[in-house]
Amino acid sequence: MPTISIFQHDLSHLLGRTVSPAHIEEWMPLVKGEVKDVSQETGEIRVELQDTNRPDLWCVEGIARQIRSVLNRSQASYPYYTSRGHTKRRIQVLQGMETVRPFVAACAASGYEMSEVALEQCIQTQEKLADTFGRKRETVSIGLYRLASIKFPVTYGLVKPQEARFTPLGFDEKMTLQEILTLHPKGMEYAGILSGHDRLPLLWDADGQVLSFPPIINSRELGEVKVGDTELLVEVTGTDLTMVVLALNIFATNLADRGATIQPLDISYPYETPFGSTVKTPLDMGQAHRISLHAIEQALGVSLEAKSVSEALTAYGYQVKTTRQSLSVRIPPYRNDLMHVMDVAEDVAITQGYDSFTPIMPQSFTVGGLTVQESTSDQIRDLMVGFGFQEMFSNILSSRQEWVDRMRIAGTAYERLVEVANVMSLSYSCLRPSILPCLLRVEALSPRSFYPHLLFEVGEVARLDREADLGSQTLMSVAAINAHPGANFSEIHSYLDLLMYYMGWSYELEPVSHPSYLDGRVGQIRVKGQPVGFIGEFHPEVLEAWQINMPTSGFEFQID
Amino acid sequence: MSSPTNTESLHPLEIHVLKALGEHDSPLTDPQLVEHTGLAASQVSMAVGWLLTKDLLTLSSEKTTTLVSLTEVGSQFHQYASPSEWIVQSVQKASQEGKSLTVKDLQASGTFQPTELSRSIGLLKKEEAIQLVAGGALEITGNPSQTSDTLRTLLNRIKEGSQPITCFSLEEQGILRQYSVKRGNNLEPFRIDDQTERGYRLTQAGQSLIPHLRKSAGEEISQLTPELLKDGSWRNRTFRKYSISLRPPRLAVGRRHPYREFLDSVKYKLTSMGFQEMRGELVETEFWDMDALFMPQFHPARAIHDVYFVKDPSHAKSIPEPFLSQVAQAHRDGGTTGSKGWNYQYDQERAKRLVLRSQGTAVSARTLATNPQVPGKFFSIARCFRYDQVDATHATDFFQVEGIVLGSDINFRTLLGLLKLFATEMAQAKDIRFFPAYFPFTEPSVELHVRHPKLGWMELGGAGLFRPEVTVPLGVTVPVIAWGLGLDRMAMIALGIQDIRDLFTSDLEAVRNMRRQHL
Repeated sequence: MPTISIFQHDLSHLLGRTVSPAHIEEWMPLVKGEVKDVSQETGEIRVELQDTNRPDLWCVEGIARQIRSVLNRSQASYPYYTSRGHTKRRIQVLQGMETVRPFVAACAASGYEMSEVALEQCIQTQEKLADTFGRKRETVSIGLYRLASIKFPVTYGLVKPQEARFTPLGFDEKMTLQEILTLHPKGMEYAGILSGHDRLPLLWDADGQVLSFPPIINSRELGEVKVGDTELLVEVTGTDLTMVVLALNIFATNLADRGATIQPLDISYPYETPFGSTVKTPLDMGQAHRISLHAIEQALGVSLEAKSVSEALTAYGYQVKTTRQSLSVRIPPYRNDLMHVMDVAEDVAITQGYDSFTPIMPQSFTVGGLTVQESTSDQIRDLMVGFGFQEMFSNILSSRQEWVDRMRIAGTAYERLVEVANVMSLSYSCLRPSILPCLLRVEALSPRSFYPHLLFEVGEVARLDREADLGSQTLMSVAAINAHPGANFSEIHSYLDLLMYYMGWSYELEPVSHPSYLDGRVGQIRVKGQPVGFIGEFHPEVLEAWQINMPTSGFEFQID
Repeated sequence: MSSPTNTESLHPLEIHVLKALGEHDSPLTDPQLVEHTGLAASQVSMAVGWLLTKDLLTLSSEKTTTLVSLTEVGSQFHQYASPSEWIVQSVQKASQEGKSLTVKDLQASGTFQPTELSRSIGLLKKEEAIQLVAGGALEITGNPSQTSDTLRTLLNRIKEGSQPITCFSLEEQGILRQYSVKRGNNLEPFRIDDQTERGYRLTQAGQSLIPHLRKSAGEEISQLTPELLKDGSWRNRTFRKYSISLRPPRLAVGRRHPYREFLDSVKYKLTSMGFQEMRGELVETEFWDMDALFMPQFHPARAIHDVYFVKDPSHAKSIPEPFLSQVAQAHRDGGTTGSKGWNYQYDQERAKRLVLRSQGTAVSARTLATNPQVPGKFFSIARCFRYDQVDATHATDFFQVEGIVLGSDINFRTLLGLLKLFATEMAQAKDIRFFPAYFPFTEPSVELHVRHPKLGWMELGGAGLFRPEVTVPLGVTVPVIAWGLGLDRMAMIALGIQDIRDLFTSDLEAVRNMRRQHL
């Protein structure tokens, strides 16, 4: 979910009316936004946008556009999507691009003098689109240029890393592409996207001047846009043509909303694309969807007039044609999130306001209840509390050191750990295979809490099991410890015995050897002949490993 | 203690101490109290403690003295010889017998620890009382050892009992400190302790009790015993009255964990509303955790930094059909769901990748695929894992309360109705607001905000109608509400906790002290 900065006066300007923070709060539902922070001094507002499928809303122009269309109950028109004929400017794509970064889209924007706040917002949009929508520039990256210095046609092709030299943004001298990838901060950050290619993408103009080295960095001469510039070229490159075009559409519409005149460019490919071999961009990719009014009525639980639905959707920016029982809808070219009639239903609900729908209380009769595991757990918990045990509740992601090493089971058959592959911190790298280490951790951290310590926990553990479909098993387990100067096997055994008696489970203890416990003071718990767990006095080495200075015994067994 | 103390509730020990103080006009110290009451020091200290809490006694003076005394080792030195004396004597004795002694010979005798010997030999050499000659033999020079002589004087003086360190000259004090017991070395002859002597006097309340004190303490019964009951002898005795306003001793008791108890109340509330519990596995496939919820495999929240992946085995054996094919189809082009799909190459191998369950909705997805009862209501309180830095608002693993409602009558308005019910039942809130929201698996999506009677406006949960791209591939043909409640903030406030990690603290004292705040 992207969070962006917008400015109150800029939003006012784009809406054509003075807005207050209260207005902004009121309108946020229209864009699924949430105001995070308002600075009274600068008028800066931090807004979090929830909808990851609406990148057009991740900028002040898009937010203003959505609010404006609902307030005005109509949408501005953008003639450049419908202009016909060839454009006066062109980008030629060369053979070979299809294997590296196949697509490019571009347009010119003129007649708008770039203000400081607009430039700031442009850069923010460029970053958010490339970062979040474009998966850190992998699928989409964007460049802005000073149009007047560029001689068309521009070429988009591959060059050898040592062949091309230009001055990148942020540097004073010319560098080869190879040098940029190894020395320039952006080169180092994004080099991974181009790894494995021996020839790299480059945009250059008819005079041989380099525009940029996508998706890494722009040229300083052509690609450093400044406040006061009136003629711009916007270019998007990437691996998915729909995403590339959508990003350009959003950028072009933003500049148009600020007053620029958008002039499309023809992109000529030596290979076929989903939109042909010559693609004029910006491009309205939208298709008319026929949707049934009934489906919307059913989803929203209200009966609707085709006319009111049509009005609502038009107000939200759609193009709508109505027939008796169905609608033909088209979303604006800067959106690409219409997948299902349910998406349209939501836009109707948003335009009408969620609060305008009367809630209906659930009417159907259903029987509630707990799973067997949960109700068994509850019975055990009640008993243990009655026996005088304090219940604990632990986090279950911890380290091999806690789960295995301190329990003296490293390298034994008892070590059945589910481990994390992408470890962030060793302290949170494995799921707990048993609960006892959690209770021993409590004992280790609580020598100052008055004794005796009788502790228990009932909960889930995960054990590696290569035979299982998921490679592990989640089991419900119960564990208890007693820690005090006289704590011993006999005492904890009494509690186990009582628990088993009241649960109605007949059990046996079989003398075994287990590394966590003292030999001769440990038993395997068996229910109906099946081994389910262990009981015993903890081995002094286990207690030493936990730095526990109190005799401690315990038991643990699985209950499902 | 503000309540007046009745003399009848005084313990016999207290009476002894009060009497002793009543007979003297000046304050008395602990040793003096021992002397005047004839009680043991420990009894006096207990009684003084009680009387102080009852405000019958007050501290009138406090003086700290540093005392020097002999240790066990010191007494040995006094009785026999210090290491340096022993060395001089041994060498002398040997030379009288015409033999010579080396350092090794001295060590071999085992009378003193080697470190002790080396220190003393070093000292004697420095003060030129002995010297080393050819062959490593030791020889007496005839010079006296200043330190050795001072040590002897000190041993003799302190033998009589502990003395304030101020009785000694500065030079002597230096030697005393050098040869006193320290951490890690308890073989020294002296011990230096700070002793605090406190003087006590009666408060006004204490003074006023003196005339009423019983003549002889100890005749009253403090504890009724089976014997007294059996032979009826309790009839001839009086019972000492207790100070019932004193705080009782603390007990170690059994108790549910307060956060778990909170989740229990949620669980019982949900079952009472007709919800059936669901459970799932801690380890899930990406398929059930995300694909089945129509989150495309390229979704930004599915990157390496958002989910915990399992190391080994890294993939599940299989994903059940027909769900795998149907979900794959829905991702590719919508299949039969009426959607146009995500339009990308769905990777069936990736679907088997194992992760630590990242959202409770995975449990609901599994339930949808089991041909669940319609109408039906389900919930789970599922442990989930989020790849986040751990801090006051992010725990390594946490619980999500979520569920589904299936029925042919389900629509946007019944969704709002259910949320309204949750607001009343879970947060006792009458004022509610609905906001548009975004979740990858629901459309329309709603965020529920409620005005909690005590906490003000807060977000209580999120919900929506499952997208047909979720339900249809799993074989469900009726509309389904998916809902989730964010209750941790409510729980934390109810338990007076600021840091989410404290919900799962391993500090027993914190858990023993945790209780519901009565808001």
